[in-house]
Amino acid sequence: MMSRTEEDFELELRSLPGVLNVGITKHASGDVNVVTLVANSKDPIATRSAANQIASLYYPEAAVVVEDANRALVDTQQRSESARVALIRADYDTTDGFCEVQLSVDGRTGIGRAGSGPLIGGAEATLAALRDLGYDVPYSLMTVTNVTNGRDWPVIVTLRSLANDADRFGIARSEDDLVSAVKATLDSLNRFLSTLDGHS
Amino acid sequence: MAESMRDESDEDAETNPTLTSIQTVDLDSGFGGEGYEPWLFQTMLNELSERELGVGFIYSILELFATRHSLEDVAVVLVNESFGTQMFRLGGEAVTPDMAAHLNASPGVYCEPDTVPAAECDAVRTACQLAMSLHLARFSAAHDPLTNIANRRSFDEALEVAAARSARYGWAFTLVLVDLNNFKAVNDKSGHEFGNHLLRQFGFALRQAVRQGDTAARIGGDEFAVILSNAEGHESSGFTERLKGHLVALGNPVDFTIGTASSPRDSTDPGELLRMADGRLYEKKGIRIS
Repeated sequence: MMSRTEEDFELELRSLPGVLNVGITKHASGDVNVVTLVANSKDPIATRSAANQIASLYYPEAAVVVEDANRALVDTQQRSESARVALIRADYDTTDGFCEVQLSVDGRTGIGRAGSGPLIGGAEATLAALRDLGYDVPYSLMTVTNVTNGRDWPVIVTLRSLANDADRFGIARSEDDLVSAVKATLDSLNRFLSTLDGHS
Repeated sequence: MAESMRDESDEDAETNPTLTSIQTVDLDSGFGGEGYEPWLFQTMLNELSERELGVGFIYSILELFATRHSLEDVAVVLVNESFGTQMFRLGGEAVTPDMAAHLNASPGVYCEPDTVPAAECDAVRTACQLAMSLHLARFSAAHDPLTNIANRRSFDEALEVAAARSARYGWAFTLVLVDLNNFKAVNDKSGHEFGNHLLRQFGFALRQAVRQGDTAARIGGDEFAVILSNAEGHESSGFTERLKGHLVALGNPVDFTIGTASSPRDSTDPGELLRMADGRLYEKKGIRIS
């Protein structure tokens, strides 16, 4: 049960302009440890300053964190704006075993070609097409696996970071292995592409 | 987290759920009809018998609600005329910005898993709304809205209580009246907004300067009062120094004058103590009182 002091503390924080939520975590001893505010504030610095002042009166040792409630919306918007990499076509030439993948973003197109059949070739060609579009993709292809779940045959792509051993996975199921491999590659890079600052 | 409660029979209460609108809740439909929840009603009665409903009660309700329905997580979104949208999560945990973006859609109770009948969610939300509004009303009635320190009414009550104890048990306290110097000129020169900023800062410095158990209040435009508990007069100089130090730290240029009166030495009558402290304050300011 909260003490009256705690209740008034929370009420004061909630009265700050734009504050939507107050989260309070405590030490095992019961002392307030961290106060997290989620605020939809026009002036986050002023909100943080006022929250610090209030906290200093009630719980001088507590740390105050102010989270921007709009951050999630901005992230979502940025993701949707950055993730407009669309597959235009994917062809597999059975005579030479090469795949050609054409991608589009912001009205520009990039083309990539790679051998080794529709699975590995499809993934490699996708990476090449992204680089052709100007993305600096610091990953190399590790595996492309065609799996079965009893109903269909999705493709799983694993990429390995050139900087460290971190792997990224993508999965897709489509009308054929080539398109599945392309989409799985894009899926594995989806969050990475959405966080890129930009591309030429 | 799915939203379990969407329907709202009273649209005004949804968009503008002031204390007034809650007071007019139809008890038949709100507590005796479809939305009546005996466990909730009993919990509210228990709480009211021990203490007053406040934001802490909201967390108690969410805890009981989660246990009752084996919920992993639950949050309630309320709308208040003064506060706007407010979110409360089980255990007092913070919501994430992602969750806030989702919950911001509309007031209601959000459960994980979404298995609770809407009528019970409705009752929980009403109880939470009531607790928040009562707490806010109680806080607003006792505090100055600009500085968040006690207002004149609660100061008068605190002074009555302190004087009565002093008269009965001999417990000493010192009343300190504080008047800001040339504040009208600051307001006239720099505007009321800046004046209010200085007053807010002054109120904050006062809160920092008083000890636990003391009472700091704004009793007029630029007049403040402090009740220093267990103080026989000389403690006021320590308080003054602390106050000055906090004002300097805040970069607040306001200067002030104080007048003091101690009980039981000077008097045990609240009115007399106020008159004495006021007279000494104006004496220091060099103003003759007619």
